[in-house]
Amino acid sequence: MQDTLKLDNGGSVFLGLSSTSIRVGDKLKVTPHFRGVAKEDFLCNYVWNLDGSWEKGDFDSTIERVGHTVPEYTWEFVPERPGRYRIAVDIEDSHGRFKGNVERWIIVAGKYGFLRPPVPPADAPTAVLADDVSMIFNIASEQFNSLKEYFIAAAKHELTFKEFRALDHISFEVKRGEAFGLVGTNGSGKSTMLKIIAGVLEPSAGKVNVHGTIAPLIELGAGFDMELTAKENIYLNGALLGYRKDFIDEHFQDIVDFAELDGFMDMPLKNYSSGMVARIAFAIATVTEPDILIVDETLSVGDFLFQQKCERRIKELVESDNVTVLLVSHDISLVERICDRVCWIEKGHMRMIGETDEVCEAYRSLDQD
Amino acid sequence: MASDIEPAEKVTAPAAQEASAPAHTTSARDAWYPAGKRDVFILRELVTKDFKLKYRRSVLGVIWSVLNPLLMMLVMSLVFSFFLRYDNIEHYPLYLIVANITWQVFADSTNAGMMSIIDAAPLLKKVRVKKAVFPVEKVLFSLVNFLFSLIAVVVVMLWEGVAPTPVMLLAPICIVLLMVFCVGLSLLLSALAVFFRDLIHLWSVLLMAWMYATPLFWPVSMIEQVPYHAVRVLMYVNPMYNFVTFMRDTVIYATIPPVKVVVSCVVWALVSLVLGYFVFRTRERRFILFI
Repeated sequence: MQDTLKLDNGGSVFLGLSSTSIRVGDKLKVTPHFRGVAKEDFLCNYVWNLDGSWEKGDFDSTIERVGHTVPEYTWEFVPERPGRYRIAVDIEDSHGRFKGNVERWIIVAGKYGFLRPPVPPADAPTAVLADDVSMIFNIASEQFNSLKEYFIAAAKHELTFKEFRALDHISFEVKRGEAFGLVGTNGSGKSTMLKIIAGVLEPSAGKVNVHGTIAPLIELGAGFDMELTAKENIYLNGALLGYRKDFIDEHFQDIVDFAELDGFMDMPLKNYSSGMVARIAFAIATVTEPDILIVDETLSVGDFLFQQKCERRIKELVESDNVTVLLVSHDISLVERICDRVCWIEKGHMRMIGETDEVCEAYRSLDQD
Repeated sequence: MASDIEPAEKVTAPAAQEASAPAHTTSARDAWYPAGKRDVFILRELVTKDFKLKYRRSVLGVIWSVLNPLLMMLVMSLVFSFFLRYDNIEHYPLYLIVANITWQVFADSTNAGMMSIIDAAPLLKKVRVKKAVFPVEKVLFSLVNFLFSLIAVVVVMLWEGVAPTPVMLLAPICIVLLMVFCVGLSLLLSALAVFFRDLIHLWSVLLMAWMYATPLFWPVSMIEQVPYHAVRVLMYVNPMYNFVTFMRDTVIYATIPPVKVVVSCVVWALVSLVLGYFVFRTRERRFILFI
């Protein structure tokens, strides 16, 4: 996988793409840039293949499509299906001899799918900084729930703990506006890391600096009381999320409208269906644009229509320049579509961190083992 | 995004400036409270919630806050006047109700405060909230109830024909000190209860013993009849004795309480707050692992 090819006579070719993240039906311009050589001396053979389709969720069916050798030095490509495409250009010299190829991956989102937000500049301010974070849980060999037990054990010097390292020296930096993914298999420590970032857990060692407000879309509806009415719960939950009172006053109708629950506001929450509760919770959490948005894959709530609405709202937030996105998932496809960079945590250890394509490639190869 | 991207162009200057320029909408920026202020709103919302839940679906609603101490006082004054002959105490009903509501605010707030962290477990696992908010909220909630029950005190004062005096203006000082005392104790208890649930059962017994050791319904003069010096000292040092005496002196007897009593109240409030705060702050990091 290389986007630059060195040519014999000191020149080079770099594969230029007009975008690395487009939607179905969008036009992608593929342009090989020749440097130090005259491009007229070469012929280009454009190739693309679709690496499975996320619509069906199968990665095995690689559909190979071969392009054509053209004398043009730019090529317009309009993908018809969402998926992960390999765009390659085979370079031949004027005698038809194969000189090598340049290739890049591109993610094509569905018509309403996620788009990767623009990559922030290198000097963008830091949004989240995890500095050598370790989390150690003491698994008590016995659970002491009474004073008597505790003192007896303490007296006998039997207060032993088994150490369990949920996170082991994790460090990463997320820039403002970046979409950062955390991947890993179940129980790898992703959620622990998120809880530390959200400030719910304190790391045993190291520290996490968070600049800005966090909207954690992982645990919706914190503090909901079933006896209270929806309106009262909106204020209570809003307070716990740190919203201003006058802000909630102002946006109360927005929340109600988004949840599509006008006329139910004075009903106690216990009379709501679970879907309705989830709608309210989601509406409160996303009513404003946070600095940092934490998204969990299992986010979709409510019926399919509301799920689409949720996804659209998240998409708006994800695509905004100001919002830093932290996506946690063991589902690689969502990460690939949204994230700029990815950190792969496995059993508490940081296996890999880097560009999405690179890390996802490695993670996927684990899949196949 | 429309133009071709080359590696050198990825971080070109104009693009960088554009992206780092703040483009927040005002509504998004103003949505959140700064760290300190949000706790006040949370406290207010939680107190409102507790208050609403307490009286929801009861016919008389908030009137119970007034009615309850009145009825309690009535029962106790009947019992103790007829059976135990404490009716030689001047303004006995008033003597009872002032002590009772003072005791009640203490018992309610420490009981609820002790459970506050354990009860807030689902919340603490989800969002970042200052943990001390919960014990403090329980104390504030019992203060709200206390303020309502003051109406009952006014009713009894009218009945007993006790006129208000300027000395009464000192009573709020006592209430503030009592609140500080309760906050400290609630912080301490809530932190300890997380690690040792035994405390929950122990505290109710302790409260009962404490209640009998405090001159709530029996005359203060009876302390002098206790045969052991050490026990007498203990009963005078008892913070609740001092708070109750402070309240009675200012509300019923229109006298400025003795210096000893005022100093005791201040010292107890500070000791409790410092101890509670210290224990809470050093333990709160580990709460999440035990709830």
